[in-house]
Amino acid sequence: MTEILVWVLFAISFDLIFGYTGLLSFGQALFFGLGGYAVAIPILKLGAGTGTGLLLSVLIPALFAVIVGYFSVKLSGIHFVIITIIFALIGSTLGETWAWLTGGADGLVFTAPPIELGFFQLDPADIKSTYYLVLTVTALSYLFLSRLVRSPLGKVFVAIRENEERARLIGYDVQFHKLLSFVIAGGLSGLAGGLYTVALKYASATFLHWSISGHAVVYAIVGGGGTLIGPVLGAGLIMSLEHYLVNLLQATDLVVGAVLVSMLLFAPRGIIGILQGRRK
Amino acid sequence: MAEGIGSGVILNLAKVSKSFGGLMAVNYVNLSVRKGELRALIGPNGAGKTTLLNLITGIHTATSGKVLFKGEDITRLSPDRISRKGISRTLQVTSLFPGLTVYDNVWAAVQSRKTFFNPFVRAERWADVREKTEAMLELTGLSGKAQTVCSELSYGDQRILEMGIALSTEPDLLLLDEPTAGLSTQESIGLVKRMRALLSGRTILLVEHDMGVVMELSDRITVLHYGEVLAEGSPSEIMESEEVRKVYLGT
Repeated sequence: MTEILVWVLFAISFDLIFGYTGLLSFGQALFFGLGGYAVAIPILKLGAGTGTGLLLSVLIPALFAVIVGYFSVKLSGIHFVIITIIFALIGSTLGETWAWLTGGADGLVFTAPPIELGFFQLDPADIKSTYYLVLTVTALSYLFLSRLVRSPLGKVFVAIRENEERARLIGYDVQFHKLLSFVIAGGLSGLAGGLYTVALKYASATFLHWSISGHAVVYAIVGGGGTLIGPVLGAGLIMSLEHYLVNLLQATDLVVGAVLVSMLLFAPRGIIGILQGRRK
Repeated sequence: MAEGIGSGVILNLAKVSKSFGGLMAVNYVNLSVRKGELRALIGPNGAGKTTLLNLITGIHTATSGKVLFKGEDITRLSPDRISRKGISRTLQVTSLFPGLTVYDNVWAAVQSRKTFFNPFVRAERWADVREKTEAMLELTGLSGKAQTVCSELSYGDQRILEMGIALSTEPDLLLLDEPTAGLSTQESIGLVKRMRALLSGRTILLVEHDMGVVMELSDRITVLHYGEVLAEGSPSEIMESEEVRKVYLGT
């Protein structure tokens, strides 16, 4: 369940850039993986606390998102998709090569110290505590994003998704707003990676692999992009499906693929699209 | 102030040229638009009319020459900066936010004139933006269709909506690129009627093929031919010009 919540956070952060701003980024894995290291390395090498680590898991990926985004948002369409994949590939290659820092593909195993919250202690070693930590952070992030997409800024993102040229002609700096969306999404993807690492007590260069981004893409498409609840449902459905199928057959990916293809063909607006269609 | 600008001139193109590779799309064009006038820009296909609008709005940058708006050099500014200086436009191929409602289309344009620092304020709380949005819907006659998704509007309504969006940025100069393109004669007449109310008192540069529309709406006409200004004058002067008849009116 904790794991599902992490992927929910990852999926909604991706949906900000994909569903609302209209940019298909395969680079979210880079921020997810960086978020993991932003927790693991300070704890292991500097003796930092888990809270500090989680804060860094937002800030460091957001900083990288500024750099990656600066180059990427100049491109659009398929070129944007490809450059984000390339950045993620560079990230995972460096992650595997710099094993002295990252532990390479074997990863870094660590013990997350308890978080002191004044009146009580939250110990990541306890599975239940971790669950509540992840639940709280994911819920707060959901609220943050739902406020954001209803704000004037959110309206600019949607305008860019709908028609970049028109958005520019009414006076919006399209590249700046794309970058802003990319950085916010990057920071939250990093936070998802940070939480994942705390829950698993382990960070690895495999988290940086661009195929990790594919999870978010699948959840958003199956659930319905451009709505925050859609990716939540998508992540929940697909992860449950995988969970039950894994005992029955080996080819769970095949089933997930079949679900994805049939959604694309018959319900391009995802589960949310189906539900809304019913109501009408 | 640049030399040669008379009083009341809001837009001044000085020796503006644009070449694409070897092709001179716009060649040494001088053009002054006065505040409050409706200027029509006519000419055969490929005369460089749309290119000229693209040079004014920053979609293309002039190869040489200067575009002055309210005395300021805007030749090399980006489209969003130019929009904020007070120039707005519609495109030849309708350019809207297709998946949004009519209301949200206008809202996005009205909101663009506000600076916002707090990303958490609910957009609906902005009473002034709401009022301006509703006023523009009223003016365009689209109030009853406010909640319609824009892609489901009739083509004529979409053309009007695009003008409404362009006007929602409160421009000092509005550029219209063939508003009646793709409409039947009947529909054109209807559109022109609705445009009159919407456009009165504004400064407009209109590119249009339909001579009926041009004659009915414009104060002055500039004729472009192969990227050059061929003639300029009142509608009746242009109709009588021998040169214009030869290349454009085909009689």
